Amino acid sequence: MTTAIDPVIVAKDLRKKYGDITAVNGISFEVHRGEVFGMLGPNGAGKTTTIEILEGMRDADSGDAIINGINVKDDPTAVKAIIGVQLQQNAFFDNLKLSEIVDLYAKLYLTNVDPVEILSRVGLDKRKNGKFAELSGGQKQRLSIAVALVNNPVVLFLDEPTTGLDPQARRQLWELVRKIQAGGATIMLTTHYMEEAEELCDRIAVVENGEIIALDTPDALIDQLIATGFKPKKRVREATLDDVFLNLTGRDLRD
Amino acid sequence: MKIYIALTVASLKMYFRNKQALFWALFFPMLIMIIFGMMNFEKYNSPKVGIYDAANNDASQALIQALGGTSDEELLSISTGTLDELHRELEFGSSRAVIEIPANYGIPGEFSEIKFTYDERFQQERAVIATILEKVTDAVFKEAAQVPDEYRAENSIAISDSVITGQGQGFKAWLIPGVAAMAIMQTGLFTVVFTLVRFKSQGVLRRLKATPIGAAHFLAGQLTTKAIVVVLQTYVLIIVGAIALGVSVGGGRLGAWFDLSILALLGGTLFIAIGLAVSGWAKNEETAAPLANIITMPMMFLSGVFFPLSVMPDWLTRWSQYLPLTYLADGMRAITVEGASIMTLGSELIGLGIWIVISCSIAIKMFRWE
Repeated sequence: MTTAIDPVIVAKDLRKKYGDITAVNGISFEVHRGEVFGMLGPNGAGKTTTIEILEGMRDADSGDAIINGINVKDDPTAVKAIIGVQLQQNAFFDNLKLSEIVDLYAKLYLTNVDPVEILSRVGLDKRKNGKFAELSGGQKQRLSIAVALVNNPVVLFLDEPTTGLDPQARRQLWELVRKIQAGGATIMLTTHYMEEAEELCDRIAVVENGEIIALDTPDALIDQLIATGFKPKKRVREATLDDVFLNLTGRDLRD
Repeated sequence: MKIYIALTVASLKMYFRNKQALFWALFFPMLIMIIFGMMNFEKYNSPKVGIYDAANNDASQALIQALGGTSDEELLSISTGTLDELHRELEFGSSRAVIEIPANYGIPGEFSEIKFTYDERFQQERAVIATILEKVTDAVFKEAAQVPDEYRAENSIAISDSVITGQGQGFKAWLIPGVAAMAIMQTGLFTVVFTLVRFKSQGVLRRLKATPIGAAHFLAGQLTTKAIVVVLQTYVLIIVGAIALGVSVGGGRLGAWFDLSILALLGGTLFIAIGLAVSGWAKNEETAAPLANIITMPMMFLSGVFFPLSVMPDWLTRWSQYLPLTYLADGMRAITVEGASIMTLGSELIGLGIWIVISCSIAIKMFRWE
């Protein structure tokens, strides 16, 4: 892995318009080495556009996106070479085996990997001869993370990695994210699930109408809210419906 | 009743929004009607004759002109060249006779002998050509001003016959390379269009965009794969066609296969590039398929794949001779049935080359990852 420069991700006043719609309206933040940084917000808030500007998938109208010291504007190819990307919608060649897909993507970064080892990291080694189209939603997400890992990235971008997954698959993915973080990568993710952000993220940015309206650790944000005298509508119980569901159906993955 | 109407209206809407269905329901049958309607299988096709002019004087040129007839009424379709070339054309069936005008033709007082060589297997055409030759020589020579009465045609010109048995293999042999060329077009264009547009609409290409590779890498990879497929396909089609229909390829010359590979590669590159351009433009299969069909369908009929271009009206063939598939089919036919080699193909190679440059530049311009 390339040595990470701190901060690994720098966004400076990013702006992007689609016609009359302002998707990103002056977003700035920094992500430190080894952090899991979450971006939260409703649909259309500008999360995906921001993350895609950082990935070199979209050009910003103005502002700078700097990954590991490289400005995306100046050298998108160099940035793409050191990051791992999971897009919101991922699709891979449908007539290749999973191991062949991983191998192909490794070669696109001019590296060689052991596809089975990479697949085992996401728990898909048993499906190495399967095809992408045959996978379940959770498996597809895990494969796309496996593919994002082939170049041993400095930064891993995950755009809504658990949307549409069942609670079991979601928890499995969280574990995977923690494992990747433990391996030294910096991770930036977007999500709709507050519980997920609380569980995984060291810091979160809440985005609304293309602007960051809050940025701190999950604990600090909760404390700030409580300090305003906020009381939840419903008394918090010892367990949630999520816990009930998992207790009834088991924590094992369904694949 | 309400349910029935609602479903009918919805399905009518869906039908008319489906461009593919409209293409097959209307455009395709109309195309077939128009093209077949324009074909004229009964029209007099002037036999192809090679003329070698050793005299090259006013009289011989007047003779050649007269043999060709007028633009309103063509008598013979004349090709010129060296004696060897003309004899080879006759041998392989692309012409029906060779007429040699001797060096002393048209010189007053000299007795000249015109040599008429024909393929014995085509007696009907021989008879037509011989009749035209006799009548024309007679008339031309009598009209030439300086000829004194005593040197009238009957005294000074003789036509001597000579017979060969050519290797021309008729319609079957003519058909095989044309169909192989058409298959190159279909494979090149459609496999590229369908795979690429599918990759695009599924988001496979978008995911590739997130890697450090450039569009050129990807396009070159696609082009190479499909070009290999196209060459292999050409071999299979021509081998199977030749065995099944009992015709020989390139008169048994082994180098013909090499030449065919080169042509298949050129043709493949050309149609793959057109396919890349179409898939760059189209957002999904719905728009890609009709465009691909509109490009390929007319060529199937206008490029002389199933029927010789001679059955088409002249105003149309004046244009259709420049179509990409015409160049490819003509080139492949020249090599498989006329015994030509790639070195002797001129206009076909230039034509293919120009089309490759045009289609590749459009393909690069039109390419989009998403």
